[in-house]
Amino acid sequence: MALLRIPAEDVRKIIDHCKAAYPDEACGMLAGLDGSVKKVYCMKNAMPGPVYYEMDPEEQFRVMKDIRAAGLELIGIFHSHPSSPAHPSATDVERAYWPGTLYPNYPGVVYVIVSLMDMSRPVVKGYSIEQGSVNEVELLSE
Amino acid sequence: MPVKVRIPTPLQKLTDGRTEVEVDASTVHEMLDLLERDYPGMRERLSEGGKIRRFINIYVNDEDIRFMNKEETRLKDGDTVSIVPAIAGGGWTACLS
Repeated sequence: MALLRIPAEDVRKIIDHCKAAYPDEACGMLAGLDGSVKKVYCMKNAMPGPVYYEMDPEEQFRVMKDIRAAGLELIGIFHSHPSSPAHPSATDVERAYWPGTLYPNYPGVVYVIVSLMDMSRPVVKGYSIEQGSVNEVELLSE
Repeated sequence: MPVKVRIPTPLQKLTDGRTEVEVDASTVHEMLDLLERDYPGMRERLSEGGKIRRFINIYVNDEDIRFMNKEETRLKDGDTVSIVPAIAGGGWTACLS
């Protein structure tokens, strides 16, 4: 299983952001290098709802530039599932590919999903969504 | 008026792996025509019925063309156009009930 290293304090930051948006979905980006997260960007859901997120295009572009300027790479994209399990939905899979193709939009990126079905015990899992399949990526919190 | 167009990874198969190309376009619409001429298949990837596809963001320098004149947004010499897939998704609707 592939691996994404993510500091425990960053996991807490992600969960806090997701809880703050509840019952709507929350989203953000993970920047890092070589499979290690160095920076978490908690971002706005431009179309907030309990089963949908879409990053604000302007913020998305700005954050991507910030990541490059910091010498980092986009290595993860996170969002919450307020009322469903921490597994990619059909929408998650569809949106991971360029429209009408099986070319991943962001090759190598880990999709991190936070389930808040049990608010007191959030479940955080990572996945790669490429080549028509979904595979779990181990999240190593350190 | 040459403008630089940054090509995202999923479209680099059409540009032989080039991450940036140049076209002589004065509008985004014209840019689509010229990209299609030089890299066949590009128009279908980027647009549908003459409109930029949903979930594809196009920026001229730092501005999203949705907040400019969309496909009619004017381009000038030295502009950089970035093509960026939107990031979106959502939970399982079946679990709501």
